[in-house]
Amino acid sequence: MNTGITRRQALLGIVGVGGTVAAAVAAPAAASEHPAHPEAPPGAVAMLYDSTICTGCKACMVACSEANGLPPDTSLSAGLWHMPLDLNAKTKNIIKLYQEPQGPGFAFVKRQCMHCLDPACVTGCPFGALEKNQWGAVTWTGSRCIGCRYCEVACPFEVPKFEWDQWNPKIVKCEFCFDQRLKQNQEPACTAVCPTGAVVFGTRMDLLAKAKERIAASPSKYFENRVYGEHEAGGTQVLYLSSVPFDKIGLPKLGSTSLGHYATKVTSVIYKWLSGPILVAGLLGALIKRNWNRHEAERPEHERKTGFPEQL
Amino acid sequence: MSAQDTTGTILVNHWQRGVPVYREPVITRTLLFFAALAALGLGLAVVRFFSPLGPLSGMNDAYAWGIWKTFNVMTLTALGSGPLAVGMAAWVFNRQKLHVIMRTALVTGFLFYATGLLALGFDVGRAWNFWHVLLPWHWNTHSAMLEVAVCMPLYCAVFLAFENLPLVLERLYYTGGDATRATLRGAAPFLRRIYPFVITGAYVLPLMHQSSLGGLLLLAGDKIHPLWQTPFLPLLYLMAAGVAGLGFVTFVLLIACLRYARPLDLGDLGELGNLLSWVCFGFLAVRFGDLAWRGQLGAAFAFDKMSVLFLVETALILVPAVMLRSRAARETPRTLIHMATLACLGGLCYRFVPTTVAFNPGRHASYFPALPEVLMTLGYLALGVAAFGLAVKYFAVLPAETEEWNYMFRRVRRGRPAAA
Repeated sequence: MNTGITRRQALLGIVGVGGTVAAAVAAPAAASEHPAHPEAPPGAVAMLYDSTICTGCKACMVACSEANGLPPDTSLSAGLWHMPLDLNAKTKNIIKLYQEPQGPGFAFVKRQCMHCLDPACVTGCPFGALEKNQWGAVTWTGSRCIGCRYCEVACPFEVPKFEWDQWNPKIVKCEFCFDQRLKQNQEPACTAVCPTGAVVFGTRMDLLAKAKERIAASPSKYFENRVYGEHEAGGTQVLYLSSVPFDKIGLPKLGSTSLGHYATKVTSVIYKWLSGPILVAGLLGALIKRNWNRHEAERPEHERKTGFPEQL
Repeated sequence: MSAQDTTGTILVNHWQRGVPVYREPVITRTLLFFAALAALGLGLAVVRFFSPLGPLSGMNDAYAWGIWKTFNVMTLTALGSGPLAVGMAAWVFNRQKLHVIMRTALVTGFLFYATGLLALGFDVGRAWNFWHVLLPWHWNTHSAMLEVAVCMPLYCAVFLAFENLPLVLERLYYTGGDATRATLRGAAPFLRRIYPFVITGAYVLPLMHQSSLGGLLLLAGDKIHPLWQTPFLPLLYLMAAGVAGLGFVTFVLLIACLRYARPLDLGDLGELGNLLSWVCFGFLAVRFGDLAWRGQLGAAFAFDKMSVLFLVETALILVPAVMLRSRAARETPRTLIHMATLACLGGLCYRFVPTTVAFNPGRHASYFPALPEVLMTLGYLALGVAAFGLAVKYFAVLPAETEEWNYMFRRVRRGRPAAA
């Protein structure tokens, strides 16, 4: 029985050591792909929605449906008009009303994709159907989508919707009017049509500054004197100002770390250039080969004793 | 030997090799029952292919994953991790006596994976776009879903299938003519040469995708209760696969040997019980270490709904861990089967809860599987059970003594044992 190191084991060992080195080299590079607090690329577009200005006219909803060719959701209006309860497979943009349980206070909120700086849906999408496109718009390409719905599980804002009633279902979400308008140097339909300036379009840098100016100008007006979306889930390209608590108008309380960072900080190191799997394969392979050789050495004796061929 | 000779008398035996179940009818009422259930489920799966997902399932945009993913794939493949768990012990850690058990693990593992992937195929909305898996430059390598999508079918169709190949070839050899035998005799050395290298892949791949199944849940973030949401999810999912995999191989060996009156080898079963106990302890150590590290031990013992669920799940794994430390307990078939069942349930519970009960998307939405959804889930499972029932009769799966080895492969057409 040969218990020394064979050429093959030596080779596997070298591959394993190579994997470790690769992992060590790759680790810093990998960590930077999903930083905990990503920075907006220059030229990142954004929307700023100020709930205190919105009158709830819903012109943006009509404009959105028109620009995106979406059918009206008439299930609650006896087939008469577009009346969705929430974002759904026919609604990429919605104005919702929050009414205080006791008291006269109310506020409107506009919901659509937040276009995160490091979107969980994009991190999770297996074949890149969802991607962070030019100017930071998160877009969906149907030919790459297998309909696994991981984006719906991952999105902390519950934005992507699935066409449950279609045989060839699409993922429906706001894409910042990327194909429809952004590419033609036009702003999104919702911001273009807003009559009061409650939702405005610009670069993220400009709009963040603008929002902070508004807070500075009226120090007691806005909830917590902060911009929702500046840091939430690593930062988003849709920014909110509100006088009522954000969670009451349906904007979830989230940490400032991007989910992509949380989910990939370990695996991105292990899987970088497949170094981890190669290392494990080298180790296991060497042990298996050693035990296999022992097994094979004992086989003739075992077969002679039992009188039957060895089974694998 | 027969059932009368062995029941209750000689329990200690020495499993030497896989032997087909013979002198038993192939078509039984049990088989027909499971085949009918499988036919119903597969029939609905065909309907599902021509129908949208909505009418056939209880899934919605808040609970976008139903039991096909959360149970058939994410949970049941833990039971199907026997080939990984037993194989690691046998081939990597050189527990020689476990080789005889490998075939039972391999067949059950293959069936759980194959039926899970079948469930997945009918679950995804746009299965026809899956061809992108063949183009690595279309892969999003940051995605745990990609890892699962590439790794699981590859493991099942190539590596697990290769490990199961000797069973098929062996049957062909003993039932075939001279030409077949000559061909197979010629192919055997080649198979033996590549075998250790291919099975290395068969252990690396499930280590990857069984942990990635837990990794999937990381992106769900706060939607998953803090008792389950942790950076250790991938490791814990993998260890739960070890718990459930070892538990299920023990369980199925005992059940099948009782059903077909096979003598038990309590040395081998005890070894499985021993390993199972240590893996359970390892799982619990990581589980509690993680809770302590994240400061969640208080929540674990708060005795609210989630805490109780956690404690039940932990007890299901702790009881076999402790009980199976006793040699007497693991060499008592009754205790062993009880403990293996508990470990399976505990592993399943850990894998199922974070995707369902502890998954709260924070809206007034709820999910309960629709009837066709349940029937399809049961159908896939029944398909596996029926296939296992046939496999043990046509292939040398279940372990037995050498003396039983009489080349008793039954021929498909004649339906009774063929003498050599």
